[in-house]
Amino acid sequence: MLTWLGYFERFGKNFLHGAGVTLELTAIGLAIGFVLGLLLALARCFGPKWLQQVAGAYIAVFRGTPLLVQLFIIYYGLPEIGIAFSQNMAAYLALGLNSAAYQAEYLRGSINAIGAAQMQAGRSIGLSKWQTIRYVILPQALRLALPSWSNEPISLLKTTAVVFLIAVQDLMAEGKRAATATFDFVGVYLAVALVYLVMVFALDALLKFLERKTKIPGMDIETSR
Amino acid sequence: MKKYFLLVVALVLVASMLVGCSSEPKSVLDKINEAKKVVVGTSADYPPYEFLDEAGNKTGFDIDLMTEIAKRMGVELEWVDMPFDSLVAAVDSGKLDMSISCFNYDEERDKTVDFSTAYYTTEDAFVVNSTFTGSVVKPEDVANYKVGVQSGTVQDSWLTDNLVTPGLLPEANLSRYERVDQAALDLANGRIEVLMADYVPVQALVAQNPDLTVVYHGELSTGPINIVLPDGDTALKTEVDRIIKELQDEGFIDQLAVKYFSE
Amino acid sequence: MDFGQFISYIASGTVYTVGVTLVALPSGLLIGTILALLYVYGGKAAARVMNLYSTVFRGIPPLVLLFILYFAVTKGINLSAFWAGSLSLGIVSSAYQMEIVRGALLSVSGDQLMAARAIGLSRLQAIRYVVLPQAVRLAIPPWSNEAAIVIKDSSLVYALGVPEILRRAQLIGASSQRYLLAYLSAAVIYFLLVFGTTRLLAMLEKKLTIPSNP
Repeated sequence: MLTWLGYFERFGKNFLHGAGVTLELTAIGLAIGFVLGLLLALARCFGPKWLQQVAGAYIAVFRGTPLLVQLFIIYYGLPEIGIAFSQNMAAYLALGLNSAAYQAEYLRGSINAIGAAQMQAGRSIGLSKWQTIRYVILPQALRLALPSWSNEPISLLKTTAVVFLIAVQDLMAEGKRAATATFDFVGVYLAVALVYLVMVFALDALLKFLERKTKIPGMDIETSR
Repeated sequence: MKKYFLLVVALVLVASMLVGCSSEPKSVLDKINEAKKVVVGTSADYPPYEFLDEAGNKTGFDIDLMTEIAKRMGVELEWVDMPFDSLVAAVDSGKLDMSISCFNYDEERDKTVDFSTAYYTTEDAFVVNSTFTGSVVKPEDVANYKVGVQSGTVQDSWLTDNLVTPGLLPEANLSRYERVDQAALDLANGRIEVLMADYVPVQALVAQNPDLTVVYHGELSTGPINIVLPDGDTALKTEVDRIIKELQDEGFIDQLAVKYFSE
Repeated sequence: MDFGQFISYIASGTVYTVGVTLVALPSGLLIGTILALLYVYGGKAAARVMNLYSTVFRGIPPLVLLFILYFAVTKGINLSAFWAGSLSLGIVSSAYQMEIVRGALLSVSGDQLMAARAIGLSRLQAIRYVVLPQAVRLAIPPWSNEAAIVIKDSSLVYALGVPEILRRAQLIGASSQRYLLAYLSAAVIYFLLVFGTTRLLAMLEKKLTIPSNP
């Protein structure tokens, strides 16, 4: 019944390589998404009206369409207008641009929770708007955002599973090759599922640890999916 | 309480338990005749064997051939379009009654499914785009370049077994695509330098895109092409083989070759 | 081929996209609600099992489950790509919807349950007439989010060859060599579906709001 466990022996090396690529995709996508997401959140909270609208539209569009479609537009669509990214670059970019929209929303939530009062307080002691953001609001907002934000790395890790469709050699691609070699799709994908689960658990434990470390005593906001 | 636990364990492992329980007492032929319908899988990305015309309808050499076979079996034909590398598993698991998708005989495949008698013979080809400055004199030369192939094809196995496994072609330089038209697109876009595929579809690609050139063709992984049938189902195989033989004798297949390959 | 034909070829995949969503979302809600009730009111052991269920199915990429369910067949239950796709998305969604319903159930305070019991309702009656009506309302915003996720995830059945929006965009893109236009059209259709759904649910939420319980 559990013969599929034997696939770890036969394809262990391939799975390990694929898992490495999957983690790399997650890390880079997350990093791009964080930088862009932070900019988007700041634009939405403190930018001029038109910038707020641009950021809002970006978030709505990237949250309102499937990642797979975004990936195909970037990889197969853009070369038509002369922009051809490599497979990995297209994957990083699609994951990053997509994740930015979600991260922006998490960060916006916590920036709003810090509230206008602190902005006034910061301004009243002589800080400029950007100084207040940089030294007063962000240090608190980033820590406050962590519990809800920590959904994103895990969600992104699972989301990366579509990049094999543009021929990136991630864990899914390795799984597909093993499945094609053995014709046992069920067994191989059960093994692959287990590898994903282990990665998700490890990531979850790491994030819980970070949450504890960075918690601001006495300050909390509701967390959601 | 223990009951709940068992329930969830069953849910999680239900798939693994189902592995290996595919006993098949009845011939698929009976099922086809009862339902008056044959379910056939293909990956419609391989002109001129199987592809979509302007209006989005399936057409091609294999498509016409299968349509005629179904007609002679006296049943309706239902197409399922799915990724090429899932077709064999889909026939094996009973998703499909059979599959026609320019399948070459392959030992690994033969372990899980059966093959009909051959209905045509093919070759492999390497194709490059106009910016290619390298040279491919013998097949092994492609190991020096970025190569693309459709995942799960005999060409994929050939590249893996003869170039990747011996260490000639770095794994990172071989891109395996879900569809061959995606690989062709990437060749045109310069993301890969050489595409390995069946010679006939490659000629169609070259005709469509003047930037592409065939640099080599010959029998490496290919050879006779067959219809993929469920394993050990002799009744179905006999029937399909009989019809293929009939169509060969009548010259139907030669006419198809003229129509699609202009041979 | 003119532009109208091009678009309508892609848009006709909406039937499958909506179909997958209409199977996955309600089946996920049904399973999720039952599991959430077991989780909250079923004792410690049930809570443990439900927690495991939630962890496992929220930890696996939906695409992996899709492949497993599609190829895990006996001759008795031969799931088509459509059904395998819809049901696996339903199972994944049930784990999320269980958490949504559970959160809503827990946020209706325990005092209310006690008050209901004090006026003579049985435990089941209290759940049925006091807790659930409030919980349903509280669950709408996160549920709207989940509905959007399921619509978007329905694009994953692409990988099984179901001729939904994305697959059709790819097919027509290949035959016309206009990939950018094809995928952008698909994106617009998905966006309209997601946007329309979330708008509709926001209207429902507004209508059902309990004035005294903002």
